[in-house]
Amino acid sequence: MSNIQKKEKPKRNIGKNLKLMMKWMGKYGFLLIPAILILAFESYLRTIVPLFGQHIIDVILPNNSEVSKLPAILGDLILGDRPTQLLIAGGLIILTALVRSIFIFSRRAISGVFAERTAYNLRNNLYKHLQDADYHFHSHSETGDIIQRCTTDVEMYKRFISEQIIQVGRLIFLVGFSIWQMSRLNINMMLISLVIAPILFITAIFYFRRVEKMYHIIEDNEAKMTTHVQENVSGARVVKAFANERYEINKFDNLSRKFTDSDYKLVKRMAIFWSSTDFLSFIQFFLIAIIGIIYASNGTITLGMYTAFLAYAGNIIWPMRQLGRLVGDFSKAIVSVDRLDKIISNPGEYVDEENKIKPEIKGNIEFRNVTFKFSDSIEDQIVDINFSANKGETVAIIGKTGSGKSTLINLLVRLLDYQKGKILIDNNEVKDIEKHHLRKNIGFILQEPFLFSRSVEDNIKIAAKGVSEDRVKSVAEIAKVHEDIVNFEEGYQTLVGERGVTLSGGQKQRVAIARMLINPKPILVFDDSLSAVDTVTDMQIRKALKEEWKESTVLIITHRITTAAEADKILVLEDGKIVESGTHNELIKRKGAYKNIWEIQSKIDFRLK
Amino acid sequence: MNDKLRDEEHFSSKKIDWDVWKKIFSFLKPVKTYIILGLIVVTILAAGDVLYPFLTKYAIDDIIIPNQDLIENGLEPDLSGLRTLIILFVSFMIFQSISIYLFIIAAGKIQTELAFNIRKKAFHHLQELPFSYYDRTRVGWIMARMTSDSRNLSEILSWGFIDLAWGLLLMFILTTFMFVINYILALTVLAMVPFLVIVSIFFRKYILKAYRSIRKVNSKITGAYNEGITGAVTTKTLVLENENFDEFDDLTTDMRMQSIKAHLLQGLYFPSMLFLISVGVALVYLVGGNLVISTSAALGIGTLYLFTNYVWQFFEPVNNVANIYARFQQAQASAERIVSLIETELDIKDTEDVIEKYGTLFDYKKENFEELKGDVEFKHVDFKYNVGEKVLTDFNLKVKAGETIALVGHTGAGKTTIINLISRFYEPTKGEIIIDGKDYRKRSLGWLHSNLGYVLQTPHLFSGNVMENIRYGKLDSTDEEVIAAAKAVEAHDFIMKFEEGYQTECGEGGSRLSVGQKQLVSFARAILSDPKILILDEATSSVDTETEQVIQAAINKLLQGRTSFIVAHRLSTIVQSDKILVLENGKIIEQGSHEGLINAKGYYYKLYTNQYSEDMLHPNKN
Repeated sequence: MSNIQKKEKPKRNIGKNLKLMMKWMGKYGFLLIPAILILAFESYLRTIVPLFGQHIIDVILPNNSEVSKLPAILGDLILGDRPTQLLIAGGLIILTALVRSIFIFSRRAISGVFAERTAYNLRNNLYKHLQDADYHFHSHSETGDIIQRCTTDVEMYKRFISEQIIQVGRLIFLVGFSIWQMSRLNINMMLISLVIAPILFITAIFYFRRVEKMYHIIEDNEAKMTTHVQENVSGARVVKAFANERYEINKFDNLSRKFTDSDYKLVKRMAIFWSSTDFLSFIQFFLIAIIGIIYASNGTITLGMYTAFLAYAGNIIWPMRQLGRLVGDFSKAIVSVDRLDKIISNPGEYVDEENKIKPEIKGNIEFRNVTFKFSDSIEDQIVDINFSANKGETVAIIGKTGSGKSTLINLLVRLLDYQKGKILIDNNEVKDIEKHHLRKNIGFILQEPFLFSRSVEDNIKIAAKGVSEDRVKSVAEIAKVHEDIVNFEEGYQTLVGERGVTLSGGQKQRVAIARMLINPKPILVFDDSLSAVDTVTDMQIRKALKEEWKESTVLIITHRITTAAEADKILVLEDGKIVESGTHNELIKRKGAYKNIWEIQSKIDFRLK
Repeated sequence: MNDKLRDEEHFSSKKIDWDVWKKIFSFLKPVKTYIILGLIVVTILAAGDVLYPFLTKYAIDDIIIPNQDLIENGLEPDLSGLRTLIILFVSFMIFQSISIYLFIIAAGKIQTELAFNIRKKAFHHLQELPFSYYDRTRVGWIMARMTSDSRNLSEILSWGFIDLAWGLLLMFILTTFMFVINYILALTVLAMVPFLVIVSIFFRKYILKAYRSIRKVNSKITGAYNEGITGAVTTKTLVLENENFDEFDDLTTDMRMQSIKAHLLQGLYFPSMLFLISVGVALVYLVGGNLVISTSAALGIGTLYLFTNYVWQFFEPVNNVANIYARFQQAQASAERIVSLIETELDIKDTEDVIEKYGTLFDYKKENFEELKGDVEFKHVDFKYNVGEKVLTDFNLKVKAGETIALVGHTGAGKTTIINLISRFYEPTKGEIIIDGKDYRKRSLGWLHSNLGYVLQTPHLFSGNVMENIRYGKLDSTDEEVIAAAKAVEAHDFIMKFEEGYQTECGEGGSRLSVGQKQLVSFARAILSDPKILILDEATSSVDTETEQVIQAAINKLLQGRTSFIVAHRLSTIVQSDKILVLENGKIIEQGSHEGLINAKGYYYKLYTNQYSEDMLHPNKN
């Protein structure tokens, strides 16, 4: 979007990614303001707590009203005889804790709502973009990688904008207020209590960066081990048939050992880091304790102040290690945002579609000099295609894989858009017809159809949720899959798809046909979608279809000559061109490719007899 | 074969199952030393945590206050006590740092080694399990056992239990110490502890529960993304974008609600603890302060300070104990799942006598292996899968060494079952299978499998390079032997066309090779192993014309001089086989040579006149 204004380094575009972070928050981003305000109050109150101790030790117990460091509003409340003062002080401690608790809870509630709202919007946004992304996007991306982005990276982002921003804020406020409170007590002591903090911070940054690399190695080793198990289990037949159990075990033990060792190496590193930084922290406490004792002994500070300093030192020391980790988290979050933006910045294929026409579609199709080239290839995939099909006609397309059959029909439903020529449906160019409308009117069945994880029945009526059970059965019967379905243990309620039973290729194709038949369509397109169905059933399905849907225009890609022979027109495709077209009878009279295929088949028949 | 798939959900018992834990604890034996080390270190740490504030008490009561008195009286402060303090402090620092180091080392060692041992045992057992186990167990189920369950369990048994030990010890030492110093203040502090425990356990439990349901929704969302991506084109052609989005929105809304609930619980937990502890601190100041100012009981300010610290000291151990308590149930579920895997009975295994003679699955006694000739006979074999109807009834078949048998018939006719039985992936429920005149159960699985070659319909390659994948057929073969095998099945040419030749990585599951190439590699693997019995589950998958021819040639090569069983789809394979068995419902309905069966004009004739036309068109469908 802003690449023209500024040519920033592509490596880590922090400014742009921060802007994206803000943008994705939307209006919920404003919730961060109250959250941070509360955070400031909350941190301030926390630095008050040691002052109650100071007040009790310095004012109430020795009965000396001079030296309270409590804010006057609170200090002035503690009046009366000494037991009463103690009672009031105790009450105020509890009251402060109550206010703090309420603050903490409301801050967490606000940031929780903010983070989850943002993540929710982001997840939906991603899903929408994935659905809208064009055919090219889907054929060029890896599912695993995209899922990783939609889950892990979203989580990363969410954690950053909620927990990590808050953590940074809390550290800043807490450390800031603590330093301020200490400066009120004694400047020298304050300075001493800051000696170790920078060392800790820097050590932590280095450590977490190093550890980051180790994590990668561990993950890698674990992945190798997991892959081995996965392959071993899914290839159990091969392992057993070749009697390689011993080998598999040795290999696994090696991989598992390697993973364990790298994991343990990290443990050792951790042990060094935590023990040495603990040691550094102890040095800080040691300094404050010893110098504090000297100051308190010669009267420079009071006893209560001494105890307060001990508390403030903790407020500064412990967070420093965390701050080191947060620096690392920040860079991770930036990377995640970048990866997510790759999906979200994709405009999708439905841009500018709203204003296009939605004509009634009758089913006359015409291809006029259609030429198409994939954006990443040099040669045209489809070259100057001309043909027409009138309403109710059947056109068969045959040809080798790679000859452009599937591309041709993808152009018809605009999964791809041609560069030259025109495709007309009832004299409207398909590019002028709104995509959804176009696709709703064309029944398109893929060679490897996708079934959703739900029951067979729900799959069949997925595009027409309200239809009756009888209608579902009748289309299943036309598609010759009813018998198969009722033989499943749970009939039409059998769960299919990823988490359900595995259907055979032929069953899938037939369910997909039934699914398409649930709504009447003026145009039907079969992309070799009966290839896994046996010839007899194939014929029965096509016969039943013909009876039910006389009016529909049918385009059918097939490898079966018997299927092609029945069509009104046959197109033979080779290298994206139509090399032959005509009816079966016309084509077998010519000595072309079609005749060739036909002859091979005759030979077989001959041999059979 | 669709036996009831193993289900995650039925492992949710609530009672502690000591039998399960005993088995899990046995995995801890190799790291006993580290457990002892861990416990010692944790004791030192807990004692240190209690003593540390005591240093301050000593400073206050024995150095600062006496000195302040001296100054008030116009005298010089006496800092001689400081030396003792410095020595104590420095030794505390050193001790504590070393203990922390050792603590992490011990817990880390226990964790990593425990996980290693569990995985080792589980994987070992997986290799022994018969094929039927894999048929009815989802890969994901096994993977979960090997990864998340073993990790979960090893974490809680190392960090978790050491933390628990630390927490309990700390509370114990702290309590004792407090009573020694001042029982009134000790009782004041302890009054708060039960409330802390109750609140902690309550929240920890519900927070964990909330996270569990978040994980559930999360996996549904991941599934939905997966479906959205892999089914994208189908969605487009059916124009289902809006419907899909609405369903997805239901999931993410659920996720949002659950997550906010978890945030609220988390958000309540810490403030409640903070509040309770502050009440404790206030009480200590109140009770202790009154003790300080009352003339009768002389309580030092240092002691008062000490006790306000001790109230805070309870926070972490209580938190830890509650955490472990909450996670324990989850850990038990993991433990049960792992034990159930490790203890899965072996349906198919060699008898003691057989093992005695032929060795175990992992340690063959090769010297006792008789040479396998290849006569195979099914004698009155009945077979039925665990659940379901009988697949074979009184099945009889006699095959001479070296014959090629084609099995033909519809899906479910029993072709795969016969192959499974010959491979002894399953055993007959009745009757016997005789190889070279002897029931194959009288010899070992290792004997049979080291003489068996198996080529799958969908060839299975492992990640690793081509060389390694072929060598899988015979692990001790030289590079030359591997190459010779590849040449024999005409795979050599395409392999050499790769930039890295035999070192080309096949990718996970062989994903970087085409189907035809994978097929050839698996043929080379089979021919390298030089099996006496060959099982060929022939592929119907379409490959291009040239590959089709190459594969056919390779098959012919493979079949030479072996007893072969082929689930046949390719016309030419069937035509050339010695005997064709036409199966229907587990029975041989026709058998004979190709010509004989065609002339008989029976079922086979009908089946193939229907399918020939399709078969012949395949070459065009590259």
